[in-house]
Parts: sequence; C-alpha cells; structure tokens
Amino acid sequence: MDEKNIKIVAFLCNWCSYGAADLAGVSRMQYPTDIRVIRIPCTGRLSPKFVLSAFREGADAIWVSG
Amino acid sequence: MITFKINDKEVQGEEGQYLIQVAEKYGIEIPTLCHHKALDPAGMCRICTVELFDGRRTKFVTACNYPIWEGMEIKTETEAVHQGRKLIVEMLYARCPEVPLLKKLAQQYKIETPRFKKEDDDCILCGLCVRMCERMGNSAINFTGRGINLRIDTSLGLQSDVCMACGACASVCPTGHITLEKIKKKFTKQNPFMIPSEYEMGLKGRKPVYVPYAQAVPNTPAIDRDVCMHFKTGGCGVCSDICQMDAIDYTMKDEIIELDAGAVILSPGFKPFDPSKFDNYGYANHPNVMTAMEFERILSASGPTSGHLVRMSDHKEPKKIAWFQCVGSRDMNKCDNKYCSSVCCMYALKEAVIAKEHAGDKLDCTIFYMDMRTHGKDFERYYNRAQDQGVRFVRSRVHTVEPLHDSDDLRITYVTDGGKKVDEIFDMIILSIGLEISPEVVDMAKKLGIELTDGNFAKTSTFKPVETSRKGIFVAGAFQGPKDIPQAVVDSSAAAGEAGAILAESRNTITKIPEIVPETNIIGDRPRIGVFICKCGTNIAGVVNVPEVRDYAATLPFVEYYSDNLYSCSQDTQTTMTQIIKANKLNRIVVAACTPKTHEPLFQETLINAGLNKYLFEMTNIRNHASWVHKDAPALATQKAKDLVRMAVAKVALMEPLKETELQVNQVAMVIGGGISGLSSAKTLAQQGYEVHVVEKDSVLGGQANHLYHTYKDENISVELASLIKDVKSNKNICLHLNTTLENVQGFVGNFKSELLDNHKVSKTLEHGVAIIATGARAFKPEEYLYGKDERIITSLDLDKKFLSKDASLKSIGSAVFIQCVGSREPNRPYCSRVCCTHSIDNALELKKINPEMDIFILYRDIRTYGEREYKYQQAREAGIIFIRYDLDHKPEVDIKNGKIFITVTDHVLGRPILIEADLLTLATAIVPNKDEKLANFFKVPLNEDGFFVERHAKLGPSEFATDGVFLCGLAHYPKPIDEAIAHGQAAASRAVTLLAKETVHTSGNVASVNSMACSSCGVCISICPYSAPSFATQGRFEGRAEINPVLCKGCGLCVASCRSGAIHLKGFDTNQIFAQIFAMNEAV
Repeated sequence: MDEKNIKIVAFLCNWCSYGAADLAGVSRMQYPTDIRVIRIPCTGRLSPKFVLSAFREGADAIWVSG
Repeated sequence: MITFKINDKEVQGEEGQYLIQVAEKYGIEIPTLCHHKALDPAGMCRICTVELFDGRRTKFVTACNYPIWEGMEIKTETEAVHQGRKLIVEMLYARCPEVPLLKKLAQQYKIETPRFKKEDDDCILCGLCVRMCERMGNSAINFTGRGINLRIDTSLGLQSDVCMACGACASVCPTGHITLEKIKKKFTKQNPFMIPSEYEMGLKGRKPVYVPYAQAVPNTPAIDRDVCMHFKTGGCGVCSDICQMDAIDYTMKDEIIELDAGAVILSPGFKPFDPSKFDNYGYANHPNVMTAMEFERILSASGPTSGHLVRMSDHKEPKKIAWFQCVGSRDMNKCDNKYCSSVCCMYALKEAVIAKEHAGDKLDCTIFYMDMRTHGKDFERYYNRAQDQGVRFVRSRVHTVEPLHDSDDLRITYVTDGGKKVDEIFDMIILSIGLEISPEVVDMAKKLGIELTDGNFAKTSTFKPVETSRKGIFVAGAFQGPKDIPQAVVDSSAAAGEAGAILAESRNTITKIPEIVPETNIIGDRPRIGVFICKCGTNIAGVVNVPEVRDYAATLPFVEYYSDNLYSCSQDTQTTMTQIIKANKLNRIVVAACTPKTHEPLFQETLINAGLNKYLFEMTNIRNHASWVHKDAPALATQKAKDLVRMAVAKVALMEPLKETELQVNQVAMVIGGGISGLSSAKTLAQQGYEVHVVEKDSVLGGQANHLYHTYKDENISVELASLIKDVKSNKNICLHLNTTLENVQGFVGNFKSELLDNHKVSKTLEHGVAIIATGARAFKPEEYLYGKDERIITSLDLDKKFLSKDASLKSIGSAVFIQCVGSREPNRPYCSRVCCTHSIDNALELKKINPEMDIFILYRDIRTYGEREYKYQQAREAGIIFIRYDLDHKPEVDIKNGKIFITVTDHVLGRPILIEADLLTLATAIVPNKDEKLANFFKVPLNEDGFFVERHAKLGPSEFATDGVFLCGLAHYPKPIDEAIAHGQAAASRAVTLLAKETVHTSGNVASVNSMACSSCGVCISICPYSAPSFATQGRFEGRAEINPVLCKGCGLCVASCRSGAIHLKGFDTNQIFAQIFAMNEAV
C-alpha cells in the first residue's frame, strides 16, 4: 500500500455476485487487491447509509452488485 | 529442533533439513536454478551460495545442499554473496544469452553484456531433468561427454524405448532446453501424447493427478493409474512426498462393495455421439470441425480459450460458423440412431445466440436443420428471438465438408428449399451431435435383465414412465429416452418418489439421530473471539503470509484465541476446534478460509458440537477473494487478508445467538386437479403413507385423458386411466372432493388452511402441509379453417372421440387432411403445444389401419416427433401418408364448395399451390392454459405471459414453486403428453415428500424482526416484501404496528433497508453489524 491506497468497497449479494467473486477465484482470474467485499443477503438489504458511510470512511468507490 | 540464525534472525529447523528449506519456511528468499523440492539437492548452479559464520571464520556454502546445525550464522545478502552470484549469472548468461530466464536474471544483477564470450547454448546443466528422470524411476537421460562437451542426452544419443515420454524432464527444465518436441524427436521411440481432459472434451490436457472439474463432487483429486509414472516404474511418488496430510496411498485397490437395496434407480446418462466415423464431415481430420459439446467448452469462461471465441486450427476469431443438425440422430443411413435426440435444436440455437453475444452481431451463425424442434417451455420464444437476432436457418442436410487448400476454412455444398445448389465457405463447422446409450450401459441393462427399446433406451410404459420392465428397478434421465435437463430432473424426482412408494414401510428404519449438545448461554458475556486462519494447504499459504495474518488477528479487540490450520475443514481440525472452543470458553468464532457458500454449514456444525449457537460465527474468504486472485501480489494479498479478518472480527463481536423457528409440517397434502397428473401425484403420496385430498371442480376424474384414444406406444388410455382411478379410489389415504372448488387459502408451508366449496354450496376447511397444483389446461377452440361450419371439420380431440366410439363413418372416408399448429406457434400464442405432431401422426396411422386406401395429408410447419416418437413419423411416411409443409405466411386455405371441403396449400417441393379435397379435416389445435389468476394469488405463485404457471427454476426446479410447500405438475406447467404428465405428477409428489418426511422444518435464524416501539405503522415493509412476511398486528399491545412472520421471511433485508423508522432489524446482517464492517475497513494497521 505504498503509492496508491485505493479502497473499493463491494456490497455483494450472497446469491449471485458473491458467488461470482468465488468463481473468479476458482477460475484464478487475477484482479487488483483494492476491493474489500462485504457480503449482504440481497442487494435489497443495502441501505443508502452504508454507501454514504463507506465513502465517509475513505472509500474511493463503492460497488453494489446483485 | 535446531536453532540458528539467518540474517541475525533466530530460526528453527529440523534435523536433516537443508538450509534452503528453513529459509523458505521463514519467507527468506534465496535464488536458485537447480533446486526442486521434489528432488534431492545437487548444488549444481551455485546461485544459492550464502555466507556461513561457524563461530571462527566465514565461508561460502550452497544453501540447497548444506545441512543445518545448531548455532550457525547465515547471511544471505552480503556484498560478497551478491558479487559471487553476479559472477555465476554472468557466466550462465554468456553461455545462454537467448534464454529469457537468464536475461531476466542478468537485468536483475545489472549485467548489460557479459565479459565472457557469448555462446548460443540454452542448457545451464542444472541437472534438474536428469534428477527428475531418475526420480521417475527411469533414468533415460543423463549427463554425457566431458568438460566443455558435457551435455544432457540419452544413452549413446539414440532415441529409445526406455524414455516413456512422460514429459517430467520438460516440466522442470528452467530454460526451455528440453521441450515436448525435443522428447519426441530426440529421446523417445514411444509416442508422446497429451492426456486429454475429459471435462474439456479433449481440447486441453490434464495431469495424471487431477480433479475432473472445478465443481466436481467429491472435490478430491484422483490418480489416473494408466498414465501415472509411479504405477509404471514404481518411481516418482512426488505427490505423496508433498501431500502434507499423508492422504496418498498407492496401494489402494478397487473394492467391491455390496449394498442391500430395496429399489434401484438407473441414471447412467448418455454418451455424445462420436462423429469420427462420418468421413464426409471430416471431424476426425479437421480441427475446425468440432462437436457441439466441444464448442460448449469454447464458449465457456472456464474453457480452454477462457471463453474467447476462436477456432482451434489457428486461434483466429471466426466470422462464419455453421451448425449441422441431426448428426447421429434421425439417421438410419450412416448410423443406427433412428430417433430424434430431442435437445440438439435447442442447444444449437443457444450456442448460436451465445456465440453472437461473444463475438458481436457481425458473426454469421447459420443452422442447417431438417425440422426445428423447439417444443420445450419458452423454447419457441427463444427460436423467434434467435431469428430476430439474425441467426440464419437453412432447411437442408449438408452432405460434405471440404477443407480448402490455401486456408483453414471449410467449403460446404448444400441444396436449398427451392432446389438450388449453393457453395458456401465457413470458418468453423459445429456438428450438433445426438445422444446415444453407451455399450457399457447396454451391457449393464443386460446384466440387470431390463428390456431396452429399439434405440437402446430403457423400456418404460406411458403409465409407468420411470419404471423399467423389472420390478423395483427405476430409470431417470437420458437412459429413459433422449431428453433435456428439466425433463431429466422431473424423471429423477419421479423415480425417487416411486422408489419411496415401494419402500414406504422401511422409512426411517436405519436412521441415526445425532446426539444434541446443549447450547451454552452466552448472553451478557463479554465477547471472547476465536480466530482460525486456514492455509488450505498452499492454496492460501502459498500467497498470503498466514502466520503474519494470524499474529495480526491476535492484536484485534476481544480476540482470545488465534491459530492457523493446514486444512480447517478436515475432520481432525474440526474436532480440535471443538475442543479449543470449549477449553478457551470462546463465544464468537471467525474462520478466515474459503467461501461461506460451501463451508459455512460445516463450521456452524462445529460450533453446535462445541455447544455454541451456530450464528455466533463469521466466515471471511481469504482464498477465493485473496490468494487465488492476487497470486502476483503476496504482500498486498496478505494486507487484504488482514483487512478481511479485521472486518470479520468487528462484525462477529456484534453477533447474537439466534433462534430458528421450528415448524410442524401438517402431514396432509392437497392436490388441486383430478386429471391424470394430479391423480398420479395423489397416488404416489398415498403410497408413501400420506393423507391426500384431491380437489376436482368437475364431477369426474381423469381430466383431458378422458378424451384421448391411445398413446403413441399403442396403449389404450381409457383402460389405463380406469385402472389409475380405481387405485386412487380404493386407497384409504386418498379423499376425493369432486364438484369442489377452492375458495380461499391461508397460511404457509406446513400449515395451510384452504376453504373448499362443493356444488351444494357447502363449505369446509382443509388443513394441509403442502399443496400440489395440477389444474391442467384445455384444448383451443379455433375460429379459423371454417371450424364449426361443417361437421367434417373437427379437432384432434373430436377425432379421438370418433375412434373411442368406433364411429362407422370413418371407414367410408377417402381422403383425410390434418392441419398442424392451429393456434400454436402464432404471434399471439408463441409456444409449441408439444403433443400435436405425434397425436396427428398417430391418428393418421389409425385411419390407415381402418382404411389402408385412404389418402392422408398432414400439413405441417415442423414435425416435432421428439425422442423415439420419431419412429412413428417414419412409419407414417412408409405407410404413404403425405407430409406437406407450409409456413406461417402461407397458411392453408379451407373452402367449402358444393358441399365438398377443399384445402389449398403451397407445396414446398413443387413451389405451387395444390388443391386437396377432403372428407375429413382435422385441426391439431393448441393446448391453452386455464390462466387461473385466483389460484395464483392464493398461493402467491406466478403465471407466465402465456398463462402457464412459472416453476421455481426452469431447469432445476420444474416440479415446485418458489413459494415453499407449493408444487406443480401436468399441463398447468406446460403442454405435455401423458407419460410426461404422469412423471411430473410423481415428481411433484416426491418433492412434497421431502418436506412432509421431515415432519418439522426449521426456518433460518437470519430473518427480519420489528422493534414495535419504533414502528410508525407506515406499511412500507408490508407493501415491499415479495414474500408477504410482514403484516400489521391485529391484536395485543402493538396492534396496528408491523410484525414479521419468521416462517415466511427469507431474510433478504428489503424491508430493513426500506424502514424509515429504523424499526426493522435483520438478524445476522443487522445495520450495526454491517456498519462495524465498514468502520473496520479503514482502520490503521
């Protein structure tokens, strides 16, 4: 974390995108290490407050997928 | 243990270890070119030289073969060491200036041009290949020559049989000196071959130790004894040395296991047809002619080209692809598969559409077909869409594929509908190969003594669609006949249901009940968190620095215990974890390992065994989301793993023990609809010992089957139906409610309350645990083709009626015409009714039986006699029945002149209109759904655009709804013939039994709950919930405030996010818990 300290918070639906992230691992797809995944039961669970607070905590981007 | 120092840091190793092994354990990098952990060290390259201080003086030793001893001091990065290594690299670089590895090393040591004379060798004489060959138990190659002539070669430099072409030497060669090509040309007389990966359809190789595919169950590697060197020479054994769990046992033998079984279900599947014998297609010789199964792999993201659409010969992106249908199906000429394989039209369509999605609209996809058979649910729509998307359809059977000389393209010649000969060039040809039964399965069938059909499928009757000719042996899937996934899933449920019916008495007789560990009450206790970091062998530890993450976890708040495990999911680790939890009085657990989607239940089980509530657990994924996807950035991956662990610890501290609501399942089933599918369902349920109530609005049972004459297998429907009705009526578990309608439904899975109303307006309430919807469908009454204007113009069902009543007038008919697709496959009803082609052909043959002189014409669009129904089509053509094709834009015209019926249709061969006079015109009318919206509302189940019910999953859940406890079968799902309707009924019953047999169901603990004090009764949660879980309380202190039924709640959290008062909490994913994760995300490390 020397030069670029990017943080992307990903809110992933347990049933699809979280599984897809798992599959990306199984398939050994390589991607940058900047993502921190928070598993949620459904994107319906996502309150705007989570997005705002993640930004406030210094996230550079938020990814909601479901 | 031996303690010594590396770079002033104290390290420990075991007696007999070499220095490099200990350094590796501590993550201290020592460069080497000739070391391989599977081989004995040889000290050949000398790059691993380090400085040793033995207490008196320093000297230089090679780390790879220097045994460790107590008290020694090692320096790996001194200036002298660096200079020494640089000199070695410089010399090697001069010897092999073109080898990429040395170029890279030279760059690293800042060597621009070596001071020595450059040579053009590519071997650094590291001897890895020689040692590896020896390890393989073979020693086919060795060092030969002396001094500057030293080289690697076979004995006398001759190609020999000794070299088995295993390729092990090439796999370790660091410079590319030894390649598979070289082995083939210089070393061996044997034929080196790639071990074809079965999963990749041979498009890619695999290793002798392999997991068949990523999702294989069990996901355990196997050794292919036929190609493993250990089984050839007794050598190698590398896998056994490396396996840290000592799991490899070469002495294991195949075992014969005897099982006592009350029923057998055969589901051996099919074998894709092998088109190599068709030399006219050139499949065996041309890489760009491939089977559809191979093409599936090309399209797959996990396939040999990572989903990149290229052809095999030159990895060029194709511009034009052709599919040839019916390769190995509907063919008596070149192979013996007379039947239609049922699935190929649809998969070819799918492949064409996906190929266009991958490669863009410009890709030219052409399907060469005989009849387009898209008779499944929503398939016709897909066909229409494919046409809209520009997939080209050519009705022609291509004879030959001719490779072009100057390119890898392929020329084909075909004849169009209009009789014109066309030459066309394609980049790739995909053969839509059929399904067939392998000789091994035929052999097994012989051993089991079950009868097979002409196509080698297991013989079944229409009324017992999953029962073989031998009692107690059932069949499911493609072995019963070529079929697609939903049909195979239906079959398998049906077979399980029928096997369950004959074994009902022995249910639960050999069940073992696990001991229940009492749950520790932890409410009010300070969190004591245990963190377990998994190495997953080297899967995680190979990238993420696990000890570092573990030590980091120790610094986190409330963490009382931390450790790392080699494999956290192994049986012994589970036992240890249970003990650790108990001994350390841990009350929250974090496991940082793989995915919770597969492993959460396992660890939750461990918590339960340790007396902890299973929800006091959080799993974080440092394998799929870190080590596997960041393999080139170990430091950053370790950082990420730490972050993930910190977030999990922050969340788990806030976890509370959750309760799962236990729910009694009322052991009664209600079947709505007394047609053949509903009755089959009721029969299966009753045979399994459950009370069943059949609700039928009509006064008779049997539904549409009452109007049908016989099946395509010539079975008498009325006789069989009567026998089914007799069985149902005589079964004491079945209660029939005729002339009864369903007026209201309340409740949910396990506890439904339905209000029934009979024709005397007497209402009664039925309490039941499950419901099966089998409300059927009806025949379409057409308005076209002068239907209803003349009594000689009838529907297929009317004709069946004539057969049933043995109508004498049929004998005097001289000419009969059938018109297909009346009301089906039309713009306003874009689905195929599935049964009409077979039905009309069957009826036409029946008319021929009555009067062999009769002229019979069938006017059709595509003949869809799928599976072994195809034989009927062949039989009809042999019997002289004339098939004339029409298309939607040129429908036949019916006219009555002078009391005579005339049909005009444009013949597809002559291209000219022909006039047929008919004594009887039969219209094959569509099957239309009842579109019962009231019923759909009662059970909160959806209807599709056409009015058929929508099942839980189009492929994997064809017999149930997304609503728990409600099941589906028969024509209410989609048009289907009797055998499929019966199998579907049995399948729905079987699915229902999985619920009934449990007697109680546990809902998840991850459900929403309302803090009534904070609720403002706005009703948003009630309006937004897709599962109808929230409602206003009707009594008590909080009357009018929202409450949530935990049984109906699926824990999606939609209401929680929508609640403006913050009154709803989602247990296990509560707001404070997610916030804790967000806040922990960025904490300073």
